[in-house]
Amino acid sequence: MVARRPSLAPLLLALPAAIVLIVFLAIPYANIVMMSVRSPGNGTPYGPGFSLAAYIKFFSDGFYLLQVANTLWIGALVTLCALVIGFPVAWQLGRGKTKLRGIYYAIVLAPLLVGIVIRSYGWTVLLGNNGVINRSLREWGLIESPLPLMYNGLGIVIALTHVLLPFMVLPIMGAIQGIDPSLENAARSLGAGRWTVLRRILLPLSMPGIQTGCILVFVLAISAYVTPALIGGLRVKTMAVTIVDALIDTFQWPFGSALALILSVIGALCVVAFARATRMRWKVAS
Amino acid sequence: MTQVSISHLTKSFGAAPVVDDLSLTIDHGEFVSLLGPSGCGKTTTLRMIAGFEIANSGTIAFDGVDVSPVPAEKRDIGMVFQNYALFPHMTVGQNLAFGLEMRKVAPAEIAQRTARVLDMVQLGGFAERYPAQLSGGQQQRVALARALVIEPRILLLDEPLANLDAKLREEMRGFIRDLQKRVGITTVYVTHDQAEALSMSDRVVVMFGGRIAQQGAPDAIYDRPASRQVAGFVGQVNILEGMVSGSDGGRAVVRLPQGEITVPAASVPAAGSKAAIAMRPEAVALGAAGEPGWAGTVVSRQYGGNLVDYKVELAGGSTVHVQCLSATPVAPGTAVTVRPDQSRLWLLGA
Repeated sequence: MVARRPSLAPLLLALPAAIVLIVFLAIPYANIVMMSVRSPGNGTPYGPGFSLAAYIKFFSDGFYLLQVANTLWIGALVTLCALVIGFPVAWQLGRGKTKLRGIYYAIVLAPLLVGIVIRSYGWTVLLGNNGVINRSLREWGLIESPLPLMYNGLGIVIALTHVLLPFMVLPIMGAIQGIDPSLENAARSLGAGRWTVLRRILLPLSMPGIQTGCILVFVLAISAYVTPALIGGLRVKTMAVTIVDALIDTFQWPFGSALALILSVIGALCVVAFARATRMRWKVAS
Repeated sequence: MTQVSISHLTKSFGAAPVVDDLSLTIDHGEFVSLLGPSGCGKTTTLRMIAGFEIANSGTIAFDGVDVSPVPAEKRDIGMVFQNYALFPHMTVGQNLAFGLEMRKVAPAEIAQRTARVLDMVQLGGFAERYPAQLSGGQQQRVALARALVIEPRILLLDEPLANLDAKLREEMRGFIRDLQKRVGITTVYVTHDQAEALSMSDRVVVMFGGRIAQQGAPDAIYDRPASRQVAGFVGQVNILEGMVSGSDGGRAVVRLPQGEITVPAASVPAAGSKAAIAMRPEAVALGAAGEPGWAGTVVSRQYGGNLVDYKVELAGGSTVHVQCLSATPVAPGTAVTVRPDQSRLWLLGA
């Protein structure tokens, strides 16, 4: 056989994507890395020369470490809530035989059709101290003073769960649609009741979708800016909000860059750890 | 061992009944095939026996006990699916153990029974593999082992060989049949492949439109089909239209455009009534032109290795398929005679 010369076609086909990634991802990241090790400025965004001042500031101040922990905690809670709420929805969409399937699908996708700013404002209308929920409860005489639904972690978790739900539902739905329906019958014929079928067959086989959905929602939750900024106000700040504060309000570019890098690295580590922990040994036959 | 009695079973999806007033008894240890084209209700019948579908009316009883209210998971059946339905996230061993775990069998016994059944399907040493790592034939045997390891009352097979290649399919026929005899389990086998049904079953039940068209031993179905439909579905058949011209003892004399022929008939129709004779392609012999028989011309020839199929156009206008051993080839265009084996003809009503 004649050895074929490696074709250039695959490389050429990958070129547009490579250019986009280099111009819009690699170069900006390199820029952020450079910026994070600049000296802090005095009245300017950054000063002359290089220093590790930004990192020292981060690791020596418990406030920022606590904020990272808080951000991760919110991310984890949002992921968990989205999973618990999203799984049955995904199930219904993936398996349901109802004629309303198209409508359900539209409802799930609806949050994506409205801009994130508008969605988050919507939640402030609902959750605020003078919002729909608190006012209704007060008028019905159920509460004296407003429930703290906004300007705290709870509000952020509620709003982010809603905003990010489609990113949980869609991958799980895909996984469920890929499960051969005869597996359920096979399990039943072997003596498994409904609950056992769900626990032993359907849930494990949905894992690829659950994994993808969890990673997407977690990553988007810890990096979300608009929703935490609007719902959390000045009292509860996530990392993304602090980063924007540093870059835009207090004009500390090196420190903001360092925070952004730290958040990226921590997020990536969490994703890798999660993927490792939920790794599957089996493969679906083609 | 279990006897299955189905009586007046009816199931509709929408308006049209898929299974229509079906009654059937399957004996202890019997191997019964439900044979029919797609949509004839054979799979739906099987699924109702399994408990996956609920009948609109009628009953299914195991050993005289009505199982209609019993859900699938409590019916104690072993089922092999067309696509095998192996759990992809479990190893072969875990797939086999699943049904035993549901029955709360002790782990030591599970290991022992799993190993024994895996040996039985010649897959000893495959327990640690995942289904995706097995060939189609191996997956098929795992599916069989998973159904048998629970020692079910009834074994149900839904087109289990449909996804295998031709050679493996033939091997598996004998394999499944042997295994079934060894275990002695009451078995219902659904297929649209007449060769499978004929070669494996104690009894073949031919179904059309949700009803039983004929049931009986494989040779009875093949040699004495009850209707044109059955004859046409189970194997190939030549049908020549003619008219009854008289009787000769227990035989009818039928006039065809090619000449008169006597056919065995249980009851001879009145002379002058329309009738047709049917014959299998292999019950017809091909002779040289001028020999006794019906004159005709070979139209086409299809070589099949051990057998050759000829299409012969008869002088009277009809076409006959002839199947014979491929000894001396006859080229298309050759004038020949066609001579039916008179003991292997049968009479069809108009």
